[in-house]
Amino acid sequence: MEGAAMNAVVPMTVPLNAYLAVGTILFVIGLAGALLKRNTLSIFLSIELMMNAVNLLVLAYARMRGDATGQMVVFFVIAIAAAEAAVGLAIFVALFRARRTIDVDRLSSLKW
Amino acid sequence: MSLELVVFAIASGLAIVSALAMVVVKTPVKSVISLVLTFFALAVLSVLLSAPFIAALQVIVYAGAILVLFLFVVMLLNLTQEAEGHDERPIQRLLGLVSVVALGGLLLGVTLKAGAPPVPAAGGPIANVKDEIPILGRLLFSDHLLAFEALSVLLLLAAVGALILSKRRFD
Amino acid sequence: MTLPLWLIPALPLAGFLLNGLVALLCGWRRAAKTTADWRAVHPDDHGHDDHGHAHEDHADADHGDHSGHNSHDDHAHGPAGPFLPYWQRLFHGVVGVLSVGLATVVAFANLVPYVAGSLATEGGLAPVIQTAYRWMAAGHVTVDVAFRLDALSAMMLSFVTFVGTLIHVYSVGYLQDEEGYGRYFAYLNLFMFAMLTLVLANSLPVLFIGWEGVGLCSYLLIGYYYEKDFAHAAGKKAFVTNRIGDFGMVLGIFGILALFGTTDFSFVDLAKQGAMNGNASISVYAVCLLLFLGAVGKSAQVPLYVWLPDAMAGPTPVSALIHAATMVTAGVYLVARCSAVFVLAPDAMTLVAWIGALTAVLAATIGLAQNDIKKVLAYSTVSQLGYMFLACGVGAFGAGMFHVFTHAFFKACLFLGSGSVIMAMHHEQDMRAMGGLWRRIPWTAWTMMFATVAIAGIPPLAGFFSKDQILGAAFGAGHPVLFAVGLFTAGMTAFYMFRLARMTFFGTFRGPKGAEAHVHESPATMTVPLVVLAFFSVVAGFLGVPEVLGGKNRFIEFLAPSLAVAHPHEVTHLTEWILMGLSVAVALAGIVLAWRWYGQAGATAQVPSAPANAFYMKTGILGRLVENRWYVDEGIEAGVLAPFRKIGTFLWRGFDSLVIDGVVNASAFLVELTGDLVRFFTTGNVRNYALSFTLGVLALAIYVFLR
Repeated sequence: MEGAAMNAVVPMTVPLNAYLAVGTILFVIGLAGALLKRNTLSIFLSIELMMNAVNLLVLAYARMRGDATGQMVVFFVIAIAAAEAAVGLAIFVALFRARRTIDVDRLSSLKW
Repeated sequence: MSLELVVFAIASGLAIVSALAMVVVKTPVKSVISLVLTFFALAVLSVLLSAPFIAALQVIVYAGAILVLFLFVVMLLNLTQEAEGHDERPIQRLLGLVSVVALGGLLLGVTLKAGAPPVPAAGGPIANVKDEIPILGRLLFSDHLLAFEALSVLLLLAAVGALILSKRRFD
Repeated sequence: MTLPLWLIPALPLAGFLLNGLVALLCGWRRAAKTTADWRAVHPDDHGHDDHGHAHEDHADADHGDHSGHNSHDDHAHGPAGPFLPYWQRLFHGVVGVLSVGLATVVAFANLVPYVAGSLATEGGLAPVIQTAYRWMAAGHVTVDVAFRLDALSAMMLSFVTFVGTLIHVYSVGYLQDEEGYGRYFAYLNLFMFAMLTLVLANSLPVLFIGWEGVGLCSYLLIGYYYEKDFAHAAGKKAFVTNRIGDFGMVLGIFGILALFGTTDFSFVDLAKQGAMNGNASISVYAVCLLLFLGAVGKSAQVPLYVWLPDAMAGPTPVSALIHAATMVTAGVYLVARCSAVFVLAPDAMTLVAWIGALTAVLAATIGLAQNDIKKVLAYSTVSQLGYMFLACGVGAFGAGMFHVFTHAFFKACLFLGSGSVIMAMHHEQDMRAMGGLWRRIPWTAWTMMFATVAIAGIPPLAGFFSKDQILGAAFGAGHPVLFAVGLFTAGMTAFYMFRLARMTFFGTFRGPKGAEAHVHESPATMTVPLVVLAFFSVVAGFLGVPEVLGGKNRFIEFLAPSLAVAHPHEVTHLTEWILMGLSVAVALAGIVLAWRWYGQAGATAQVPSAPANAFYMKTGILGRLVENRWYVDEGIEAGVLAPFRKIGTFLWRGFDSLVIDGVVNASAFLVELTGDLVRFFTTGNVRNYALSFTLGVLALAIYVFLR
C-alpha cells in the first residue's frame, strides 16, 4: 500500500509538538478573530486562518506517521476552501448590496 | 541549532505575528495582506514537513487565488474601514474572550504537556523524498477517485452558485 | 355428475352481488330522478315542507312489524302502488330465488347420494371434505377454506337450503310493495351465503366467517326499516349482544387450537381419542364455556336472549328464516359439532342443560302474556332453543338436533303464517284486534294450525317426536328437575300457541268496524310455501320415530357418526310410555286452558284488550310480572347498563378529562415553556450563534480532556 509507507525512516529535527503548538496558536487566533471581530469580511478571513491552522496540524501528523493520506486530506481541504470562498464571497457581496453594511451585529435576520 | 530549526522558528514566528496583525488591524486591505503573509509562512512550514506539493498549492491556490479574490471583493465594495462605534454586546465580547482563552489554554496545555508522541512502527516518516508527487497522483486517482470526482462537481456547483448569487437580482 | 360443495355457498353469494349491484345502481338513478322531480314540483321550496311528497316514498316502507306500538298509517296503502318498476322487482325476485334455488339443487344433488349411502352403510359414510384453497399458514397451524359434508352438516344443509328457498319465494309476495326490494333480496342472499358457509365449514375459522356473516345479515335485516328508530335500535341491540357471545367464540377457537393444535374438525376425532395437549380438565372446561358463550349469544339463551324478541322489528320472512329456523340454531349446531369436546367436561354439559332449561321456562312464561303476534313467536323460539340446549346438555345431542330440524319447519311455518296474517290485517300485529280470521284467510289459518299443533307436541306431528326425545333424555340422564321444567314448558308452549291461535283465528273479529271486509288472503307465492312447510311440520317427525312406537330412529342413527354420544341413557319402554303420556297430557291441558280462557273473552269484549286483561286477572301478581317480561330488560338496564354508563361517565369526567387531557395539556405547556426558553437564545445574531457553537466545542473539549 503506497499510502502507508512513503520512504525510509528519518527522524524529525523539529519536534512534532512544536508544529502542533504553532497550529494551535494560529487556530486560537483565528477563533478569536471570528468571535470578536464585527467586520464580516474579517470573520471570513479568520475562518480561513482556522482552516489553514488545521491543515498545518494534519500535515504535521502526516509527516510523523509517514502517511501520504494526510496530504490528500489537506489537498481536499484546500480545494473545498476554494469553493467555499467563492460561494461565501458571493453571499457576502449580495448581502452587502442588500444591507449596505458589513457589521455582523446588523445582520440579525436569522431568527425569522 | 540546525538550519531546519532556524527556518521553522522564523516561519512560525512570521505566521503567528501576521495572523495577529490580521485580527488586530482595522483596514480590510491590510487584514487580507497580513493573511497572505501568514499563508506564505505556512507554505514554508509545509515544505519543512516534506509536503512541497501542498506548499505549492498553498501559495498558488490560497494566497494566489482565494485571497486575491478577497482583495478583489474588498476593492470592489470599497471597504475601507471596519464598522465604527463600540461594541454593543459587552457580554458577548466577554464570553467570547473567555471561551477563546479557555479553549486556547486547554488545547495548548494538552499539546505541550503530552510530549513527543512515539513514532508508529509501521510506515516511516516522509523525509528525503525526492519526488512525492507521483505518489500523491496515484493515490488521488485510485483510492480517492470518487472524492476527487465529487470535488470537481462541487467546484462546478460553487462556480455556478457564486455566479447566481452575485447577480444584481437581490437589489 | 358431481357438483362441488363450494358451489352451494357461492351461488347465493353471486345472487347477492348481482342483486346488490343492480339495487345500488337503480337506487342511485331513482334517487337522482326523485330529486329532480321534486325540484320541478317545488321550484322555490328549500326542503322544509317536504312531508307531503318526498316522504310518501317511505310511507309504504312503513310495513308493520312494529314492536310495541300499533299505530296505523292510513295512507300506507295509498294509491301510490309499488315503487319499483315491474321488471326490476321481477329481476330481484328471480335472481334471489334462483340463486338460492340452484344452491338447493346442488345441495340435494350432493345430499341425496350421501344420505342414501350413509344409511346403507354400517357406521355411516366418511365425511366428504373438499378443500378450495389454503387460507393461511403460520408455523404448523394451517387453515384451509374447506367444505365438509358429514351427517351433521348434511342435516343442517337440507333444511337450511329447503326452508331458505321457500322463504325466498314467500318474500317475493310479502315484500311486493317495498321500495327496498332489491336491498332486501341482496341481504337475504348474503345471509344464505353466510349460513351455508357456517354449515359446510370444515374448520372453526371458516365456520366463524359464516357465524359473523349471519350476524351481520341479521343486523342488516333487523334494521331493514332503517328509518324507524326502533328498527335500527333493535339491529344494534342484536349486534352488540352478539358481540359478547362472539368474543367467547373467538377465544374458544383459540382454546381449541391450543388444546388440539388444529382448528379443523379433525379435532373432534382427537377429542374422542382423548389426544389433547395437556390434560387439565379445567382448560377443557374453559374452552367449552367459551364456545358455549358464543352459542348463547347466537342462539339467544339466558342471559343474552334479549335481542331476539326485539329482532322482530325486521320483516317477517326474516324473522322466519334468520331468527327462527336457521341462524339462531347455529349455536346448537356449534355445541353438537363440538360435542366430543363437551362430553370431556361434564360440568360444562350440566351448565348447558341448566341454561337451556332456564331459557326454555323463562321465555315460555313471557310468551304467555304477549299480545304482539310476532312477539309470542319470538319468545316461543327462545324457549324452543332452550329445549335444544337442554337436550345437548343432558348428552342427547341427536335429540337436540332433531328438534332443530323439526322446529325449523313448524316455526318457519308459524312465522310465515303470522306474516300472512299481518299482511292481511294491513300491518296490525296486536292479536287483541284480531279474531275469527279463519273465515277470511283459510289457507293461512289452517297451515298455521298444523304448525301450532306440531309445536304443541301433539302426536303424531313433528314437534311431539323431537320434544319427547328431549324430555326422555333429560329424565333418563337422571335429571328429574330438568325433566319437570321441560314438561312444564311443554304445557306452557301448548298454552301460548293455542292462545295465539284462539285470539287470531277463532272467536269474533275485534278490530275496527268494517276492517274485517278488507282482510284478504295472501297471494300464491306466500300460501304455497306455507302449505309446503305445514306438510313438513306434520311429517318431519316420522324421520325419528322412537323404537317404543315400533319405529326406527333413522334420524339419530344417521347423525350418530358426527356426535359424541349417539344413544344416551336408554329408559325402559314402560317409562317411555309414561313419559310420553305425561307430555301429551300436559300439552292437552295447556290447550284446554288456553281455549277456555280466551274463548269467551274474545267473543264478548268490545274492548280489544279484554283477552290480555284476562290473563293478568286470572294469574294475579305473577301474571303482571310475566306481562312485563319479568322486567329483564329493565333489570339489565339498571343492573348492567346503568353501572356501565356510570363507569363511562367516570372515565370521561375523571379519567379522560382529567388524566388524558391533563397529560396532553401538560405536554403542550411544556413545549410552550421550552419554546419560550429557546426563543431567548434565538436572537438572530450571527455572533451569538458562533459563541454558542464555541462554548459547545469548549464543553466537549473539556469533557474529552477530563475523561
